[in-house]
Amino acid sequence: MRPRRSGRVIALSPSGRPDSNNRERGIYIRSHIGALPTYILKKSLGALITVFFVITVVFLLMRLMPIEGYFGDDFDRLAPVQREAILQKMGLLDPWYIQLSNFYQDLARGDLGTSIIFRPNVPVAEIIAPKVPYSLKFGLAAMALSLSLGLLLGIFQAREKGKWPDALGTSYVIFINAVPAAVYFLFIQLYLTQLSGLPILYSSARPLSWILPAVSMSLGGIAGYAMWIRRFMVDELNKDYIKLARAKGLSNTRVMFSHVLRNAFVPMVQHLPTTLLMTIAGSIFIESLYSIPGMGGLLIDAISRQDNPLVQALVLIYSTIGVFGLFIGDILMAITDPRIKLEKAGGAR
Amino acid sequence: MEQPLLSVSDLYIKFSLRGRVLTAIRGASLDLYAGETLAIVGESGSGKTVLTKSFVGMLDANGWVDAGFIRFAGQDLAKYRGDGQWRTIRGKKIAMVFQDPMTALNPLRTVGLQIKETVELHTPLRGMAAKNRAIELLAQVGIAQPEQRYHQYPHEFSGGMRQRVVIAIAMSCSPQILICDEPTTALDVTIQAQILDLIRQLQAEYNLTVIYITHDLGVVANVASRVAVMYAGEIVECGQSREIFYNAQHPYTWALLSSLPQLGIKGQPLFSIQGTPPNLFAEIKGDAYAPRNPYALEIDFVKRPPCFQVSPTHYARTWLLDERAPRIDPPEAIKHLRAKFVEGAACR
Repeated sequence: MRPRRSGRVIALSPSGRPDSNNRERGIYIRSHIGALPTYILKKSLGALITVFFVITVVFLLMRLMPIEGYFGDDFDRLAPVQREAILQKMGLLDPWYIQLSNFYQDLARGDLGTSIIFRPNVPVAEIIAPKVPYSLKFGLAAMALSLSLGLLLGIFQAREKGKWPDALGTSYVIFINAVPAAVYFLFIQLYLTQLSGLPILYSSARPLSWILPAVSMSLGGIAGYAMWIRRFMVDELNKDYIKLARAKGLSNTRVMFSHVLRNAFVPMVQHLPTTLLMTIAGSIFIESLYSIPGMGGLLIDAISRQDNPLVQALVLIYSTIGVFGLFIGDILMAITDPRIKLEKAGGAR
Repeated sequence: MEQPLLSVSDLYIKFSLRGRVLTAIRGASLDLYAGETLAIVGESGSGKTVLTKSFVGMLDANGWVDAGFIRFAGQDLAKYRGDGQWRTIRGKKIAMVFQDPMTALNPLRTVGLQIKETVELHTPLRGMAAKNRAIELLAQVGIAQPEQRYHQYPHEFSGGMRQRVVIAIAMSCSPQILICDEPTTALDVTIQAQILDLIRQLQAEYNLTVIYITHDLGVVANVASRVAVMYAGEIVECGQSREIFYNAQHPYTWALLSSLPQLGIKGQPLFSIQGTPPNLFAEIKGDAYAPRNPYALEIDFVKRPPCFQVSPTHYARTWLLDERAPRIDPPEAIKHLRAKFVEGAACR
């Protein structure tokens, strides 16, 4: 934006006296939201470049994996010549730059490759697609649980800062973060299933069996959201404008919700989309623990059975989701915080 | 004599700090009359801010009014408990302006909304009517193009402009008393004068009673009709502005006035008060200023001096005013003060 230049244009206009009132009004109001499309364009370009880099790195890393992954159980039974022939047929003996360019071309056509071991010769996309609804279902449930309970807990803690509800909440957060997840999941499986009478293993026919996985999945999220919102709210509470808001005569509740909470959300919105998308994309650990046929469980399977194209495709999907989440976060942040200069690239930090 | 608008008598305010009790205000008494401008002066930690915060119930959570009265509009504010009760006073009848305008406004909401919020809280105006009132207030505190400025965020305002907005917020409910806690400390000198002018102008317009908290005696001389000098949580001398500047009685007031840079003599070090303020955790015996007072009498270390009336409007807490006390001449600098001020007024 170059206000100086536009000023000269107006001054030279034949109408004589420049209508400075309207001009300034335009600049004032548009200075924030007006530059948003340009900002989004810049950020999406950055996101695309990041995804491109991630894709390339993932592809190159996969080439470093042992070649056994391309043969499965047949590896020992095949003669070296036969192996060579198979690799040749898959294009794996071409120079790396040709492989890379083939990979890009396939990707551009939406072809993620075919599975080798997991379900031989089935396109990877066909394997992943039916898994998505499961991950989505549990992800959404866990997201709703952790976001609502986590925010409630955090807000409550901030309100009661320094008193026993705050201490209780903080000990929960510390417990979840300090104890390895496997330990308390084990306890849930050992004791909570008996106490509650809920089934351990997932079964699509028994809705009761959906409760434990969703709850387990949200435990970490609750702790995370509670910790962040509490922290940001306490930060805001110590600021001077809160003193003025109270001196104005606003009630404590009003100050809490219309000033503190709203402002505390700003530092959160940047990371919120990523964490939400990642929850929806499925938990690697929980899905394999409760034998839920989702994407997370699939990734574990694919890695342990060395199905390279499948691993490649899944890592791609996860990393793209991550980058996309950050991109949305940047935009949300720019919308919620008027102090971010949209004109300058990368000004969102 | 007319009835005071707000009357503080023998007020004690205590804070509990890490298990220990600190007495921030010890037996302060003060009357505030409608329409006047009272300046409360004193060094940092003397309790100026705490005293005024207790008028609106904004003491920190670990502080409480231990004894005494704050009479205002037929009520005793010292007995007020809980937010609900305070909100009938806070922002409605007594408003506050804080020291640092850079941080006093919510950075994420437009200036207009922050004023409108207060207007809606304290007046029956809603929606467009409240918005128009907010724009009117912006114009009143001297902000050009208020309609456009209404939609801007605090970071688009300069420090002086923000202080004007804070004042607009304070004025939105037409309060009776405006407490200005060092309103110009964070601003540069030219802006300071503008803000003081603005407050003076609003005062005339709304028949406001203004309390300034400051340690800038220049500001005091400029705006105040009465001055209260605070030391270690009590008001040691109080009187009309002229009486404090030209006929000060308390040695602490003498010391404060002597430290005015304007009174310094070229080539000589500026006067400064020796020692440090007393420890507010400990019980203070006698006159709190005695250990730093070069004119201290023996009784100053034993017994708290009572209030001696100097004139109907002027009193001081010092044993020097007792008839048995030896006559002590105030320091030379103080004697010159009168001449200096007369001179200064002539120049202006």
